[in-house]
Amino acid sequence: MKQRITIDPITRLEGHGKIEIFLDEAGNVANTYFQIPELRGFERFCVGRPVEEMPILTSRICGVCPEAHHMAAAKAGDAVYGVTPPPAARKLRELLYSAFFVADHTTHFYALGGPDIIMGADAPPAERNILGIIHKVGLEIGGKVIQARKYGHSVIEMIGGRQVHPCTSIPGGLTKGITEEQRREIERMGRWAVEFAQFSLKLFDDLVVRNQAYLDLILGDTYTHYTYYIGMVDENNHVNFYDGQISVVAPDGERIGKYAPQDYPHWIAERAEPWTYLKFPYLKKVGWKGFVDGKGSGVYCATPLSRLNAADGMATPLAQEEYDRFYATLVYEEGERYISAGPTKVVHHRLATHWARLIELLYAAERWVELATDPEITSDQVHAVPTQKPTEGVGCVEAPRGTLTHHYWTDERGVLTQVNLIVGTTNNYAPISMSIKKAAQNLIHEGTVVTEGLLNRIEMAFRTYDPCFGCATHSLPGQMPLEVTIRDAQGVPVEVLRQFC
Amino acid sequence: MPMDAACRPALVVGLGNPLLGDDGVGWQVAEHVRREAGPAVEVDCLAVGGLRLMERLVGCHQAIIIDALATGRQPPGAINVFSAADLFGLAAGYSTSVHDMTLAAALRLGQTLALPLPETLWIIGIEVVPTFDFTETLTPPIAAAVPQAARLVLELLRQPVEEGQMI
Repeated sequence: MKQRITIDPITRLEGHGKIEIFLDEAGNVANTYFQIPELRGFERFCVGRPVEEMPILTSRICGVCPEAHHMAAAKAGDAVYGVTPPPAARKLRELLYSAFFVADHTTHFYALGGPDIIMGADAPPAERNILGIIHKVGLEIGGKVIQARKYGHSVIEMIGGRQVHPCTSIPGGLTKGITEEQRREIERMGRWAVEFAQFSLKLFDDLVVRNQAYLDLILGDTYTHYTYYIGMVDENNHVNFYDGQISVVAPDGERIGKYAPQDYPHWIAERAEPWTYLKFPYLKKVGWKGFVDGKGSGVYCATPLSRLNAADGMATPLAQEEYDRFYATLVYEEGERYISAGPTKVVHHRLATHWARLIELLYAAERWVELATDPEITSDQVHAVPTQKPTEGVGCVEAPRGTLTHHYWTDERGVLTQVNLIVGTTNNYAPISMSIKKAAQNLIHEGTVVTEGLLNRIEMAFRTYDPCFGCATHSLPGQMPLEVTIRDAQGVPVEVLRQFC
Repeated sequence: MPMDAACRPALVVGLGNPLLGDDGVGWQVAEHVRREAGPAVEVDCLAVGGLRLMERLVGCHQAIIIDALATGRQPPGAINVFSAADLFGLAAGYSTSVHDMTLAAALRLGQTLALPLPETLWIIGIEVVPTFDFTETLTPPIAAAVPQAARLVLELLRQPVEEGQMI
């Protein structure tokens, strides 16, 4: 007899993602399927529009990270016109983007996925949220979170023209720069953000790293996978969110190469499966071997953890210290702690992504200050007029939840003829599916009674990736039921469990 | 606008994705209101979730949100009006997704932190059938609901603050 368990986190925002768990006759997990309906036709929808519209148009694909799409589209627009923005424009874009990362990573850690690990895997859903953290840590933390978001959004508005959907990036740069008064304000907010990021890492250290039970959960096998990792790096192989090459690192730490954004078709291919519309990207040079770990499998991951693994370090001093501490704590070699950042340092524990996200938060805050104090940042030279005939271009940035690639083709007037997007979370579709299966396999055994805590742990497996498959943003009806239906061999439900996340 | 900047007394927010067909009905109602309401009312069109929406409401005296609603229990185009109290009853959980909080949870956070939230909040929900195809065109029953929903918004804006509407 086969049983089927369905976890159905129905939400408009996520596009009706659904997890199906099939049990074998013994009651163990035979297989799991994570299904996501693809949003059809966005590429077709864009065809016929001027390429310079794309930074605004694509920022509406998703209400979660419009800034990432805005920036990838802006860079693709530069590439289509073969134009290099002036240094001040490049720096202002990166400054906006750093502030966006601070706001986004803060939100994920305190309000979305982080509470899973701060409050504990067995905490009831009603406590696994920011209100639970406030209850545990104190009211002050809530104010800091809102402040971090407010400062991030203020910088986005000053440079991007609008607080929510930025509108100032055009091919060749920006439509406006910033004043000295604005620069001073941005610097002040950035210095606060650095302190806030340090505070957040200290909090993580106190509540999680020094708690052996939580550390064991991170280091345990349930949430561990041995895959490839990709992430954008600068010329020194340090993590960069805005520009650079994409570094590809194998499960054993070997860097198998770096590719420029326009070379992504040589590195990334997509695998179709009959049970889902969304395709599974994989490394072309390694090949698709199925949903399996190891150096022979082309499955890769693109997350904050991936970016740290794919790089040699962080470009700012405080984040670098935390980077070293991260690997010193989590990477062991033959019983010895492996401290130096070298070719074999790779962390495979997926729950460590929460920690990696905080190290990136600190880097983003430090970079915010660096750029705000750059002598060129208030220059009025923020646009280079395109002079070449538009053709084709690729723009790539790191979105908070993975490498984001926009590829446009235009006619000689700059009107789009073809569009291809590989969005952040799509990169992680295969590893997310594998993490759900492994969590289910480790947690559901013959005779196991499905409990709420067990569902929490399966949910944690995909929440750590900060997945985003959505586009429609809704507040209504405002419920996210996590529903598990256990069915008998005839498909008749024998037990239904439900919780609100 | 920064969230603590001076805000006009009344804010109307059209919510949704304007590229996703009927999902964008909130934007169209908001634009309709913008044309008729005059400068005393601030109108914004947003594609954001609960937390950022709550932050946008900070500093406003009165707010009306228009959004698509998918209950599957009403004909497309049916117009619903909820108060903030109704919203708390509807949203039992804290998250609309793994990615954001519900507006109700975000409002609770705002209350906990003593942020200056609107004294009155109405939510207009227009029943739609969810779609996954990109288009800027509304289906006929949803398009027909736009002027009616806009009139409702204008009527609510004229109503005095009542006890039951308090957040």
